Amino acid sequence: MSIKIKERQYNVWREGNAKNITFIVTKDCQLACKYCYLVGKNVKERMPWEVAKTFIDYVLDHETDPDFAYESVVWDFIGGEPFLEIELIDKICDYIKVELYRRNHHWFNSYRFSFSTNGINYHEKAVQDFIKKNRDHLSIGITIDGTEKKHDLNRVYKITEKGSYQDVVKNIPLWLEQFPGGGTKVTISSADIPYITESVLHLYSLGIHEVNINVVFEDVWQEGDDLKFEEQLMQLADAIIDDGYYQDYACSFFSEHIGKPMDPERDNQNWCGAGKMLSVDAAGNLYPCTRFAQYSLRDKEAWTIGNIHDGIDKNKLRPFLTLDRTTQSPQKCIECEVASGCAWCQGENFDAAQTHTVFERATAICLMHKARVRANNYYWNKLYRKLELEDLREQYEANKREVKPEIC
Amino acid sequence: MKKKVGQVTPEEKNEIQQLFERRNGLNELAKILSADNTELYEKLVKDMGETGTKFQGWWDRMSKKYQWESTENGNWEINFETNEIYLVS
Amino acid sequence: MLQYLVILLNNTSVAYCHADNPLKECSLMPLETLKKGILFGMKQNLMIQYVFPNYELPKEYAKVIESIDNVKIYPIGCKPVTGIEDGNNADVEVANEVPEKVEAKNLVLRLAFSEMLANKDEIAKLFASGARINLCITDVERFTDGQIEAYKQVLNEWDAILLNLYKQGQSPQFNLLSDRMMLEKMHNCEAGVSNITLAPNGKFYLCPAFYYDEQTKVDNQLNHHQPTSDNAVGDLENGLDIPNLQLLKLDHAPLCRNCDAYQCRRCLWLNRRLTWDLNTPSRQQCVMAHIERNASRALLNDIRKIGEFMPEIDIKEINYLDPFEVRKEF
Repeated sequence: MSIKIKERQYNVWREGNAKNITFIVTKDCQLACKYCYLVGKNVKERMPWEVAKTFIDYVLDHETDPDFAYESVVWDFIGGEPFLEIELIDKICDYIKVELYRRNHHWFNSYRFSFSTNGINYHEKAVQDFIKKNRDHLSIGITIDGTEKKHDLNRVYKITEKGSYQDVVKNIPLWLEQFPGGGTKVTISSADIPYITESVLHLYSLGIHEVNINVVFEDVWQEGDDLKFEEQLMQLADAIIDDGYYQDYACSFFSEHIGKPMDPERDNQNWCGAGKMLSVDAAGNLYPCTRFAQYSLRDKEAWTIGNIHDGIDKNKLRPFLTLDRTTQSPQKCIECEVASGCAWCQGENFDAAQTHTVFERATAICLMHKARVRANNYYWNKLYRKLELEDLREQYEANKREVKPEIC
Repeated sequence: MKKKVGQVTPEEKNEIQQLFERRNGLNELAKILSADNTELYEKLVKDMGETGTKFQGWWDRMSKKYQWESTENGNWEINFETNEIYLVS
Repeated sequence: MLQYLVILLNNTSVAYCHADNPLKECSLMPLETLKKGILFGMKQNLMIQYVFPNYELPKEYAKVIESIDNVKIYPIGCKPVTGIEDGNNADVEVANEVPEKVEAKNLVLRLAFSEMLANKDEIAKLFASGARINLCITDVERFTDGQIEAYKQVLNEWDAILLNLYKQGQSPQFNLLSDRMMLEKMHNCEAGVSNITLAPNGKFYLCPAFYYDEQTKVDNQLNHHQPTSDNAVGDLENGLDIPNLQLLKLDHAPLCRNCDAYQCRRCLWLNRRLTWDLNTPSRQQCVMAHIERNASRALLNDIRKIGEFMPEIDIKEINYLDPFEVRKEF
């Protein structure tokens, strides 16, 4: 009798118990996606090794500090496109592993390296060598937006404006072979609405079983978009149910937990983890989340919380760590009958706020959320009726897979 | 074929999960640590041995405690999300 | 609800709170602006508080200033002469060093933390003056945890002096120690909520400090929908326009709304400066306010050993100095 451990890939690894630490290794990217919130991308700001090393030392020197008192850690690498800096990343990860071990740091028993990539250079030797070397500690998501048409509508190369679909899709089989449970992240902006159904089904056909999809938080929505969105989601619901995808595939648009009123006392938690996360950029500045770095902000100046030399100014974290849902929400959200599942991004809230605050919730997605709730209700009513008629509901309930919303 | 043969407590799951993570960490560290780094290398070698022993010890203890079903060429699996033990043959 | 209108008669009007006034160039509020400001105050039913510079204003101002009931805030030794002695007990003298005597019924004493420690005995002598003493620390941002014991110690010493005065039948008023004993709910600065400041330029500001910052180009941006990103929250022509007004109020301050350091100033300007969010206090402000709270509790308990005193007030024993450490986490 032999023993084999099979660990399921977690949707959100060690949710709540992991400190998320992000290296903004570069602000460069091969693409210039039209919906990208990174307004200040550039080729100059690449993280020097010394900055990365000083930052790691700072973090590991503070093992007992309450800000780092988490059971686990996720070392996150973002850009731009992080894999453009694979050599630096490789050096960083090696240093982290050795230092965690040398210091007997408790995170040695519980860490991940996490990447969200555009997938363009996924197949390259340097990236593949890195994956092989760190296979058991990696979480890699490739962003592919759906059909070629939908993907290329937004995800285009920065100079030629040529669509990137063909260069990404060729790497999907390799990625799925290495990360069988891998999910992709799809972003929906106004112009993408007509392509939602075909895109999700297309991603399923590529073998991607988990599609995390969300609408952009920015105020980009046109009149009537909500109704078009609802129609698309209902078409998608029909396809998922009629063709039986619901058994093995998941789409985060449909969740039984959304669209309910929320108790102001009990359900008062903030949506995102800004402030509990920590990000560092090429200059060594620290942020409560990458969305507060200057390259992510349209109208506001960066919200730095310190730097790698002086450490974290804890006063600058206090607003983030005292944020709750109701204090930042307008009355219409507090009283909303379908409030649950309506997300926000703290960075976008800050950027769109009238004043310098993280306590003003942006509500540009209000109508889109309500449309999603209507389609979601349709989905579950239709699905459960079908299962009841086929006497399969109990079996479904016992085995259903739950897609948790991606909370950053 | 995969069959559920038992379940462990959350504390027991945590113990094996930590050992599992440590073992993976040590294996990946071994790929980059050279013998030149004598102090750390020796610590690693010793640690790998100890962790392997503890790992096997957990399965021995638990299979004895819970009397899980086994087969000649089968192996057990644990699901860290549900704490369930499966027999795969 | 707005109750007070603070009118800065000059750019160099005396600073009377945490922020120093860095403005050196004399710029008197035009008479017409002053008249409009007074009219605004009358229509809004606001009590006017004039803040004076350290020189005598032109004679024509006196009549306008006295056209309405008012409180005067002025540098010590520069009592404004307007020709009207209405015996107003609310007038406030402001000193940046410990004076030998106090003439007004209210003294604001602005000192750095180290100055406060160095002058603790001189400050204590003022307690028996009969005036209300408001001690205002001007370098709160530099207060560190290493100074906690020193602050506790000096308040302890002052507790003993105040207790003696109570024993002698006096009722000394010293903001850091006696205020909390009298309060059953938050009594803070409430800039933008219960009071608003009119600057010489005819614009409204949450408090004088936001005006100073704007004039000296310190980044304290409040109003992002104005292209100039100034700190003004309205003007005399168009009235008040305070964006995110709700965030100035106690119920929108997660750390403060359950706090019982009722005497805390809850200084929005310090919040903005140190935490970057108006509704969130810094560790410095919280810790200092809690040291004061606890010292008030000790004083209250000692006074009650003499006889019944403020029986309705209950200051509980707590084991933290910063409510952030015991904040509700979801």
